[in-house]
Amino acid sequence: MKRRLQLSRLGGELMLLLATLVMLIPIYYFVIGAFKPRLDIVKFPLVITPEMFTTGNFTYAIKKMKIVSSLTNTGLITLTSLAILVVGASLAGFAIARVQHRFFKYYYATVIALMVIPFIGALIPIVVLIRRLNMIGSLWACVLIQAAWNMPFSVFLYTGFMRALPSELEEAAYIDGCSMFRVYFNIFLPLLTPVTATCLIRCGIGIWNDYLVSASLLNSVRQPTLMVAVYSFFGQYVSEYGYAFAGIIMASLPVVVMFLFLQKYFIKGITAGAVKG
Amino acid sequence: MQARRHTNNFQRARLRAGLLFVLPAAVLCLVFVVVPLVEVFVLSFYEWNGISQDRLFVGFNNFAELPSTEGFWDMAKATLLFAVGTTVLVILISFVIALALDNRGSGRLNRGLMRSLWFVPCILSGSVVGIVWRIMYNYNNGVINFIIRSLGMAPVNWLETYGLTNFAVILAAAWSLIGLCVVVFLAGLQSIPTELYEAASIDGAGRFNLRRHVTLPMMAPSITINVLTTSIASFKMYELPWLVSGGLPGYSTRLLTQRIYFFAFQSGRFGIGSALSVLLIILITLISLLQLVVLRRREDVY
Repeated sequence: MKRRLQLSRLGGELMLLLATLVMLIPIYYFVIGAFKPRLDIVKFPLVITPEMFTTGNFTYAIKKMKIVSSLTNTGLITLTSLAILVVGASLAGFAIARVQHRFFKYYYATVIALMVIPFIGALIPIVVLIRRLNMIGSLWACVLIQAAWNMPFSVFLYTGFMRALPSELEEAAYIDGCSMFRVYFNIFLPLLTPVTATCLIRCGIGIWNDYLVSASLLNSVRQPTLMVAVYSFFGQYVSEYGYAFAGIIMASLPVVVMFLFLQKYFIKGITAGAVKG
Repeated sequence: MQARRHTNNFQRARLRAGLLFVLPAAVLCLVFVVVPLVEVFVLSFYEWNGISQDRLFVGFNNFAELPSTEGFWDMAKATLLFAVGTTVLVILISFVIALALDNRGSGRLNRGLMRSLWFVPCILSGSVVGIVWRIMYNYNNGVINFIIRSLGMAPVNWLETYGLTNFAVILAAAWSLIGLCVVVFLAGLQSIPTELYEAASIDGAGRFNLRRHVTLPMMAPSITINVLTTSIASFKMYELPWLVSGGLPGYSTRLLTQRIYFFAFQSGRFGIGSALSVLLIILITLISLLQLVVLRRREDVY
């Protein structure tokens, strides 16, 4: 009986291992493919030998994707909008969590409602708006749109976090005559590291990986972001697999490397809102 | 009296400071989220090419015209099939994987590592996943047909077969969403108290009955959450399915989001594109409302 149970456990383990290997095939395929010439990718898709090894794909992809400028664009957009997000959302969350007034209740309800609206639903008026502001082709357009569309979720995160902090925390400070800004800055800000990490990772991945916003608002030839470059040079009619794989690796590398070091935060950040705690 | 006025002043100062605090976030959202959202509803009542000064008020005409636009019903069918198919596939696979990963620490494989591996596809962008799967599905040169051939079977035309291509797109999308659901399911499984399993075992429940009468009911809230978030994610997807299939063959895999993009940038019919956007917004809002109700109820469960 016990033996049979162990045997079935072993079977389960094997199935899990097999499923995981199958799931990993696409990743394995494009990672080794990036270092092989096209013919070898087609003929021997699942192996790599020293004779096949080449870095030529990367040399080509770096040129074709204008990697320096697309990396700079993506980096600038991501960092700037994240900075706006953290400041804006932590301030707003602090007010919502700590000031008792019905205005903040309505405000919070609006934030929750906006959280789920997909960007593509408002794509048409946004393009019109950015055109009217004469900001098509400006990185600032992307920064503002990204900051605005990620703001509701970030405010939601910060509000939840600060509501859970005990109110005794700042009472003494108020009695001593501290201003609200001092309380925010000296007492709350140092405590916000965990929720800031969650917010940075969640929104950072979304902004880094974004295609739609930058494709709609920037000139995809003159100032591509990484994902737009990957899309427009290797999308739809790709035939040079190796180049595409090299481009894909370069575009995803920063996020993947960060994931390796901060797995726990990533998983928490991405599932925030769906899992409690 | 003095004291009361003092607190009033204090409250008013706090309110003023609070308003100042929410100002940056509020202005940003107002200008770039709320105004465009209102405008998409307004635009859906106009006929407008997006450039000319005058736009023509046409009432509900755009909505009335929608069903007769080219390939509308194909698009509706494809979108629904894609969302439902992706959700079902993701839920089934991720539930089984989460069960295997949970297994109460009895396994030999490193659980943390396995969970992280399943999570990797979730951090890749839609463009990346789309391109990789498009290459994998290639009839002559893709790795999937290579594997099929090495198993001695006939290669499959993944991207040019009606019906099969829908499945191909669903599989690619599912691959990128499974990790999220695995994590949510795992959190749910780990919150089931061990005593429940013990009690049921003492009452003579076998493995199947434990799953059926303990795990499944306890997991109901996680399942609901995953169903709703996955269906929202698939209704929203744009570049991933587009890169895999390009809407082909015919109009059979062209999705609602891709139609909106077409009306915005290729045909310049902003009115009818906005009408379509309104449909998408309403659809997703309805699903989210459902999610909100479930989340509220879940507070009582735990």
